[in-house]
Amino acid sequence: MKGVLLSGGTGSRLRPITHTGPKQLVPVANKPVIEYAIQDLKAAGVTDIGIVLGHKGRTAIQELLGDGSAYGVDITYIIQGEPLGLAHAAGCARDFVGDDDFVMYLGDNILKAGIVDLIESFDAGEYDAGIALQSVDSPQQFGVADLDDDGTVRNLVEKPDNPPSNLALVGIYVFSPVIFDAIERLEPSWRGELEITDAIQLLIDDGCDIDSHVVTGWWKDTGKPVDILEANRLVLEDQTPEIRGQVDSGAEVTGSVEIDESAVIDSDAVVRGPVSIASDVNIKPGTYVGPYTSIGSNTTLANVHIENSVVIGDTTINANERIVDSLIGRGTTVESAAGSLPEGRRLVVGENSNLKL
Amino acid sequence: MRIITDTCSECGTVVAANELEAERIMQCPGLSCDAILRFADLPEDARRYFLNHHDEYEL
Repeated sequence: MKGVLLSGGTGSRLRPITHTGPKQLVPVANKPVIEYAIQDLKAAGVTDIGIVLGHKGRTAIQELLGDGSAYGVDITYIIQGEPLGLAHAAGCARDFVGDDDFVMYLGDNILKAGIVDLIESFDAGEYDAGIALQSVDSPQQFGVADLDDDGTVRNLVEKPDNPPSNLALVGIYVFSPVIFDAIERLEPSWRGELEITDAIQLLIDDGCDIDSHVVTGWWKDTGKPVDILEANRLVLEDQTPEIRGQVDSGAEVTGSVEIDESAVIDSDAVVRGPVSIASDVNIKPGTYVGPYTSIGSNTTLANVHIENSVVIGDTTINANERIVDSLIGRGTTVESAAGSLPEGRRLVVGENSNLKL
Repeated sequence: MRIITDTCSECGTVVAANELEAERIMQCPGLSCDAILRFADLPEDARRYFLNHHDEYEL
């Protein structure tokens, strides 16, 4: 079994954060999203991984992951270029996959339960594909599967008005090499892309057996800022607390908190978990870091109250303000305007930013 | 739709034909790889197919 990890896309819904990098490198609990997928693949015994890259961030992703040896996997890069759809991305991996089965994993997805059960379910039968599903409240917004009583997939429907079930497709699939013949028979959809759901539907129409596996635990597509915050919250809830950094006497650190060994929590600072604090972070006196917050490396916080937020890193915040539900990009400076005249906010804000003052 | 790729003989990076055709001659996009990849290095039938269906390979 090989792995194909899709890491293209423009990340347009995550702008301005993705103006300067790919969405797969946005950190959740201080770890790039794509590393969760690699961790899941490795945990499932999949160590031969092809990473499909688009135009954006191909160098940054290669610089982070390298040949995969740091993660205990072997990585081959596959340059898709133009984002011509998930089926095109899979098709670009044909030579890499060869005659093996493979897991296709969207690199901006995070699953609580990993993919071991999905692969075991696929391997237990004579299937040509397996799809991961999850119950959702609004199936009209997703690709939805229609299943037999035994869980075999009868039909796939994209964003149906009358959904046959509430089981939406999670962005993780298992395929036998038969999928490549189906992809070759596809024509671009109305949006000019080769759709993976169309390829799976061709397999169904050919009489192939398609396995389904309902994912337990949460699943997040981290495509939007609100999704990053939600994924950050979910991951932090499950983190193992570990305080390796310096916590001065007079500082208050409670709850599930992870602090890197080079981080410093000064006296009169308060940290209430779940919180993750990365390397070279200094939490100065008068600062409150509240639940569900991740502070990225090389960041200094002073006087601020911050919670349910992600600070990506290389940032300085020194302001007697409350910051909540926020995603703060790398290299940001937030300072107080107190005493400055004329009174008012002073902003240097990039394109596609979103502020609530 | 036929999906055409080429594999760098030096580092193993796989490159889609649409990327090769757009650049015609390019340094391998694999990090630190100095190999030169050319659209012209694809088999003739693959090149002909790609050029005859060029519109399908563009969004």
